[in-house]
This record gives sequence, structure tokens and C-alpha cells, in this order.
Amino acid sequence: MSDAKALIELEHITKRFKSLTAVNGVNLAVHPGEKLVIIGPSGSGKSTLLRSINFLEEIDDGVIRFEGNEVGYVRRHGKLHLDRQQVVCQLRAEIGMVFQHFHLFPHMTVLGNVMEGPLTVQRKSADEAREIALAMLAKVGLTDKKDVYPATLSGGQKQRVAIARAIAMRPKLMLFDEPTSALDPELVGEVFDTIHALADEGMTMIIVTHHMGFARELADRVIFMEGGNFLAEGTPQEFFAEGMNNERIRSFLNRIL
Amino acid sequence: MSLKPNTLGRVATALLFLWITVATALAAEADYDALFREANDLMGAGDLPAAVEVLKKVPAPKAGEEGDAFVRSRMQIAKLHFAAKEMDEALAATREVLALYPDNSEAKNFLASVEREQKPRYVSFLQDCLKFLPVLLKGAVMTLLLVVCTMLISPLGGLLVALGRISTFKPLSILCWFIIWLFRGTPLLLQLFFIYYGLPSLGITLKPITAAVIGLGLNYSAYLGEIIRGAIQSIDHGQTEAAKALGMTYGQTMRRVVIPQTYKRLMPPIGNEFIALIKDTALVSTIAMVELMRAADQMFNTYFNVTALVLAAVIYLIFTTFFTFLFERIEHRAGIYERR
Ligand SMILES: Nc1ncnc2c1ncn2[C@@H]1O[C@H](COP(=O)(O)OP(=O)(O)O)[C@@H](O)[C@H]1O
Ligand SMILES: [Mg+2]
Repeated sequence: MSDAKALIELEHITKRFKSLTAVNGVNLAVHPGEKLVIIGPSGSGKSTLLRSINFLEEIDDGVIRFEGNEVGYVRRHGKLHLDRQQVVCQLRAEIGMVFQHFHLFPHMTVLGNVMEGPLTVQRKSADEAREIALAMLAKVGLTDKKDVYPATLSGGQKQRVAIARAIAMRPKLMLFDEPTSALDPELVGEVFDTIHALADEGMTMIIVTHHMGFARELADRVIFMEGGNFLAEGTPQEFFAEGMNNERIRSFLNRIL
Repeated sequence: MSLKPNTLGRVATALLFLWITVATALAAEADYDALFREANDLMGAGDLPAAVEVLKKVPAPKAGEEGDAFVRSRMQIAKLHFAAKEMDEALAATREVLALYPDNSEAKNFLASVEREQKPRYVSFLQDCLKFLPVLLKGAVMTLLLVVCTMLISPLGGLLVALGRISTFKPLSILCWFIIWLFRGTPLLLQLFFIYYGLPSLGITLKPITAAVIGLGLNYSAYLGEIIRGAIQSIDHGQTEAAKALGMTYGQTMRRVVIPQTYKRLMPPIGNEFIALIKDTALVSTIAMVELMRAADQMFNTYFNVTALVLAAVIYLIFTTFFTFLFERIEHRAGIYERR
């Protein structure tokens, strides 16, 4: 059932924490350029799924294919184990991730943060890394903040720097885990616009969010997740129309909106 | 010229000394025996001024004459005055002797001690300082060397022990736990004794300085190891996640992201440890190392002079104060990114 055209393909991904099954045998294929929005109540396994895609969680079962190749795991004694560090790091370098709480490196300037990936991971020269970083900062509109430390930035600015830091690696896939949930409402817009601009450039992305604006304006496909399973899936139009017929989705949307 | 009655008490000790001198010298000085005996009797009766007057009757020797009696009389006069704290008179009598016998060692030594008595206290204190400082400074250089060596070794050792402790490789983690447990759980003094006196029985003989550096280095690596481990684990896990998400290896994550963020947190506790270290180096004086404490101890035992100990304390204080300021500056620098 492998989908040859998919950028990333998940097959029967399962992740358990002790007795709790956070992700329960999920299947998913994301095509190049596709924008996928995942919504669902808190604790439904959205973060765990994103982190599994980035190998930040070691899955218990399933297959991850990247550009058609099965990647990231070796099977020993019938159990899955993450592959060698070098392999996993290379995969992660191709997938950008933006966190709810930014996680900027506080001891580096804004420019230093954005340079860090190209410099340390891709081993580019300092000049080259700086050039890339400046281009990324221009893209998120924070060139004038390049020499300050993250502590001096607003939440929205921090998240834009985090986005610049991720895209400086020129990833093939971007993962956003509730990128606007920690922001004051008036700062959501600037981050949303930044992500929107990135989407317009054709970036493939998976976004976990409670911000229905993302889903409506940006998504090619919306997935509703609950209890570690995908309960519903469709284009935004289908989703918001038919979702109202599903009791659980309707109650979730009513709570959110 | 007078001997004040109220000074008689202080003369008592000098008297004992005089009786002995007088008794042994009597035989050789037949000519002036009578004078010395008279003076003795007067001293015995407590009339010291009269005794001085009698002793003065011993004349200076003429050319070619033997002058032992003269020297003896003048030195007795000088000592009587000295005991009564009449320094000018004591000096005058001593100089009478030196005028005729410039090489007389009794007179010369006496002159030196009178001059010492005459000087204000601060002068003799300064002279003590000059006498002790070269030795103490030599010791202080050794102390500083030990401190600097340990300050270079123990953060590296501590980092290794800390990384070992948090390693997921169990044998390494247990080994590092054991090292910390062992070196934090026993006295440094015992560790130094073991390394210097105990290891030779296992066929390993170390020079004192090697044993001292190893002992201090291991001990402080263990202490700093726990501090560094705590600091590493106190860094927000999100930092590690973000670094990993960029594609960094464990080593890159530690080196570029986690460890640099521990510096500010580490400085206060490590500064404390290093201040303790400066004082702990005194313990290596027990394994034949001549450092500041040992040097001060030697000076004190040779001269019974507290100045040596005071000077050592001052040097320790200079060291601890200097390093305290240094660490504060480094801490200030390390946290520069936290200021908004
Ligand atoms: N590291 C973990 N250890 C134990 N349980 C976890 C861990 N991470 C997540 N969980 C649990 O897994 C479930 C899914 O969590 P998560 O993926 O964070 O949900 P969501 O992002 O949808 O809110 C939750 O019940 C959560 O408590
Ligand atoms: Mg979440």
C-alpha cells in the first residue's frame, strides 16, 4: 500500500507510554507541497504523532517512509529501535520543527540561533551560514533584531525566529506543534502570516493547531484526531460541513470556536 | 643615672642570670674581686643603683693590660639597666665595651637586642615581615600552583564525571556514580594520605606534588561532577528537543546548546568550591608539600613568632578575595544574554 509519490508516509504508527496508547496504529501520507492541519482535543496524541515523524519519539510499531524509503528504525528481536544516531540526525535535519514554546537558544543572538543549524549540523562556513540566516530573518521580517538575545523579544517575534531557524536548514517538511498557542491573541496574526508566506512558497507542512483560521485558509486537508486515532479527514470544506454531523467533532469545534 | 625602685620587680629575672655570671667569673679576676663581691652584696640587698656605682669603679684597661674585668663590669651594668628598661644607659655601657673591643660578641648581641627593644613595635613587626615573607611567598606560589592546577583539572574531570553519570550506558553511569560516592564520602585528608603513603605499598610511588594534584583533582572533580550534573539536568528539556530537531547529535547538543547554558548557573557553586579549595590546599602540608600553611608553620615553630601566622592568613585572604571577585565577574559575563 506504499504511496510512491508521498514525501512522508506513516504506516500503522503506534506509540505507547506504559499502558497508555498515545498513537494507535495511524496511517498517513503527505505529498510534496501539501499542507495538512491536525486538530483534536488535548491529549489526543497530536504532539506525539508529530514527534514520531521527527524521531523525537521512538515508536513501538509501524513503518515510516521518507521519499519512498523505509527509514529511521532497525528491528531487533522483533522490537523496533531507532537507527544509529548519524542516520537519525540526517533525517531530522531534513524535517524542520517549530514548538509551542519556541525553545530558542537563549545564549545565542537571534542571528546565532538561525545560523546554528547550517553552521553546526550542515557544517557550512560562518560566512555562508550568516548569509543564509540573514536571508531567513529577512523572510520573517526580523532583520533589525538580528543582534539581540531572544530574552528581549515578544512571543510573536520569538516564534518567527524559531521558524527562521527551522527553515534555515532548507527542510523538505515542516512540522508545527501549536505554534500560536502560547501567544497573546494580538501576536497570533504575525506568526500566522509568516507560516502562510511559507506555505505560499510551496513548503510541505503538517500543522497541529486550535486556530481554525489555519485550517480554513491554509489546509489542503484537515484531520481530526482523538484518543490516538484519526476520527475524520477531508478538505476544509468537507471537514467543516460534514464534521457538524459527527457528534464528537461538533462538540470539539463548539468548544474551540 | 638612676634605677627606679618601681622597676625592681622586672629586674628579678636579670638577677638570676647575673648571679651565675658573677659566680663563674670570680676566680679569674682577682684584682677586682672585692669590687664584684661588693656589687653582688648590694644587688642581693636590692640596691641596684649602688651596685652600678660600685661596678663602675672597675677602670678601663690601659694599653697592654688585660680587660676581662672591665668588660664583665660594663656588661653587668648594661644588663641591670636593660632589665630596668633604661635603654640609653644600657646602650652607653655596652658602647664602652665596644669602643675598646669592637669584636666582642656578647656586647654586639646585646646591642642588637637593646636596639630591637628600643624600636617602635611596628618597626620590629616590619622586620619580622621581611624575614618571613620570602619563605611564605615561596609557599604561597606553591599554594597558587596547586589551586590553579586543580581549577583547570576539576572542571574537566567534573564534566566527564557528570556526562558519565547521565549516560544511558549503565556501566559508565555506575562507575561515575561510584567515583562521586567515594570521593565525596571520605575526607580529603584521608585521600591524600592514601595516595601519598598508601599507594607505595601497591608499588606506586608519587612525588608529593603529583600526589597532591591527583588528590585535589579527583576530590574536586567529584564535587564539581555533581554540581555540573545538576546544572545540565536543570536546563529546560525543550532546549535538547530543539537542538535534536535541528539534526544535532548528542555531542553537538551538549557542546553547543546545553553546556553553555549551565555556565551562569555553575559559577556560584563552583566559585564556592574553589574558595574552599584555596583553604583545602593547606591539607597537602601533611604529605610533605611545602606550601603556604607548611611554610607558616615552619616559621612559627622556628621563631615562636605569631607574625608568621598572621602573614599567612593575610595571603590566604588575598587569594580568596581575588578569586571571589574573579568568579563574580565571570558569572556576570556568563549571564549577559539573560538581561532584557
Ligand atoms: N513522555 C510522555 N510520557 C508519558 N505519557 C505521555 C508522554 N507524552 C505524552 N504522553 C501522553 O500521551 C497522550 C498524548 O499526548 P500528546 O501527544 O501530547 O497529546 P496532544 O498533543 O494531542 O495534546 C497524553 O495522554 C499524554 O499524557
Ligand atoms: Mg500537544
